[in-house]
Amino acid sequence: MDRRSFVKAGCIGSASLLMQGLDPMVRAETAPNAVPPIELRGLSGFKPSPLGMPGLYPGRVVEVREDKAIVRNRVSQPIVGRMLERAMKELTGEKSAREAWAKFIQPGDVVGIKINPSGAPACCSSPEIVREIISSVRLLGVPARNIIVYDRYSYEMDLGSYQALLPAGVRIVGIQDAFASGGGYDSNVYCDANFFGEWETRSYMASIVAHEVTKIINLPTMKDHSASGVTGALKNLAYGTFNNVARTHRAPYTFTNPLIGMMCTVEPLRSKSVLHIMDGMRQVWHGGPLTQVQDFIDQPGILMVATDPVAMDTIELEAIEKTRRQRGAPSVWQQDSKSITADSEEFHHDASKNLFYRQPGHIEAAGKLGLGLADLKQIEHRLLSSES
Amino acid sequence: MIIEPGNSNPPEDWPTLLKDNARSGGQKPYAARSPEKALWQFRAGSSLRSAPVLKEGKLYVTSVAGAVHAIDAVTGLAKWKFQAGGQVHSTPSLFADQMFFGCDDGKVYAVNRHDGTKTWEIQTGAEVWASPVIRNGITFFGSADTRVYAVEAATGKPRWVQELGGRIYSTIYATERQLYLGCGDGKVYCLDSSSGKILWSTETGNGIDSSPAVVDELVLIGSEDFFFYAISATTGQTRWTYETGLGIASSPAISSDSTFFGSKDGFLYALETRTGKLRWKTVVGEVVTAPPVVGDGVVYIQAGGTFALDTANGNVVWRAALGGAIQSVPVLAGESIYLASLNGEVYALR
Repeated sequence: MDRRSFVKAGCIGSASLLMQGLDPMVRAETAPNAVPPIELRGLSGFKPSPLGMPGLYPGRVVEVREDKAIVRNRVSQPIVGRMLERAMKELTGEKSAREAWAKFIQPGDVVGIKINPSGAPACCSSPEIVREIISSVRLLGVPARNIIVYDRYSYEMDLGSYQALLPAGVRIVGIQDAFASGGGYDSNVYCDANFFGEWETRSYMASIVAHEVTKIINLPTMKDHSASGVTGALKNLAYGTFNNVARTHRAPYTFTNPLIGMMCTVEPLRSKSVLHIMDGMRQVWHGGPLTQVQDFIDQPGILMVATDPVAMDTIELEAIEKTRRQRGAPSVWQQDSKSITADSEEFHHDASKNLFYRQPGHIEAAGKLGLGLADLKQIEHRLLSSES
Repeated sequence: MIIEPGNSNPPEDWPTLLKDNARSGGQKPYAARSPEKALWQFRAGSSLRSAPVLKEGKLYVTSVAGAVHAIDAVTGLAKWKFQAGGQVHSTPSLFADQMFFGCDDGKVYAVNRHDGTKTWEIQTGAEVWASPVIRNGITFFGSADTRVYAVEAATGKPRWVQELGGRIYSTIYATERQLYLGCGDGKVYCLDSSSGKILWSTETGNGIDSSPAVVDELVLIGSEDFFFYAISATTGQTRWTYETGLGIASSPAISSDSTFFGSKDGFLYALETRTGKLRWKTVVGEVVTAPPVVGDGVVYIQAGGTFALDTANGNVVWRAALGGAIQSVPVLAGESIYLASLNGEVYALR
């Protein structure tokens, strides 16, 4: 195809690291002081919804694991369909998938599906799961034109070939182009903070979130993250909704904690984000979010659903920590200066190295903001056995 | 790199995707050496995600912002500009005095290539990213609305419309009587070019955004199911497949008895066209989605930078980088190479 004829090849690696603010060459001259004041400005007049985070089932995380859900790096459409149905029924206690979905979506909704194409093509939201979500939403009577699959960066969506792989009629939107800032953001809804003396201190909410969609189904992937420790439901929503977030990283320091959680509290993002479906078909345990190195990408065939993003990310963090321990990699909590490198190649090929002092504490911080439960003792982790 | 004003003769034409309807990429002798200097640089003002085309000394580029620029290929100076109604990702095609391209507003535009005035436009139901292909005075293109359209190139008058099973981002390969294309429903289709009737379809394991090439009665195309397919152009029967490590969005280039294509697994592959047997594969980047372009003994590919590889063994002959933003398929014209970049720059190199 044509667009693909030109676009994709290389927004991975250094160029993409730069755009996401993860370029280790952009370094802080000195260690930053404490977290600066952060001003949050939500959408004026918006009435919060009871479906908003932590949603209908605080602390509940349903996990389904099927070995055959992904074989030789290919995701099975029918198997993930059954996994999603089982998980939704278990989450809601409903007898049918339709009734389960109806807890969150009504026919008149404009449904945003927030994918995570960052890391495509090696590890991104599986088109097969996106298809199942679309199919489920359509069964409720939502027309295809009222379903919007979106992310901030169109070039990353291109890498995942979502345009060609998703059903016709569904809108597929990249909020901004690779190298152009452009529009697409509401200047009246923002987070304002000066982290490193940057010129622009505001991050604005995507207009598609503020004004177009009425519900958001969040589809994060299961990955470690060089700055935030892991990237899950919270990070996919926060840094995938607000612009100008690269400024929060200045190697080896990052303010992902507490900004990720704080962004998720801003309305209407908080209220509209009614369901989180974590794609753990692949699990990146080092090199996230952009790695293409298959040595660091397992294929466990996991799917998790929750309305509580904090609980979901807590389970994800545990899983990635477990894998890292098994592989002899240091914890994402490690704060040893010897592990820090400014060489992105070294980072991408050595699991003992990192670009930043990671901030997995952003999950617990989000819990303290009321977005969900981060205490494992309080989390109701329902693990469904394999059908096969 | 030194930028020097150009004063050479107009380069040879490159009027459509990969030079001609056969997707040959030229296959004429080109110097197997790295470009040494920039003749000129043109700032389009917004991201360029389609490939340039070239005819009679004018280079044409389309931008994401919807602007179409005609540029003097020798001097790099703007000749005219046309503004479409939406973003443009489609590589334009040139035929007679017109230029054709698709747009995110669902339209295909025909523009006079000499002065940039609109000749006609036709509305489809969704964005058109594929490149229009012209054969026997008819413009053929697919749309994300799942339909293939045939319209008269001179007037835009519709001839027929054929609905397929998925979004279409694959550029049609048109022979005298048949059209071949891939589809988001995972099928490779063969259509009768006079009526749009589906002659056959062959299923792959996932959606297709690669564009086919046809040679020796074989339709050659990649799929997002990680496989590259050779399918009988007559019957639709699969003759052979070759498995790569990830999906294949790159369209193939054909040269003598070799087929070249890239995969998202980072390799550029060379297969024996007749059998599908691997001749060589070379890592050229983390992800390869651009189509290769074949010169004389050299195959070019964009993968973060521009790579030139020996067609015989896959060894890298040279590589050039102008920064991370160059992803465009090169237009090879005489001793010049033209590139469009994601950050909105057009380069003429020699």
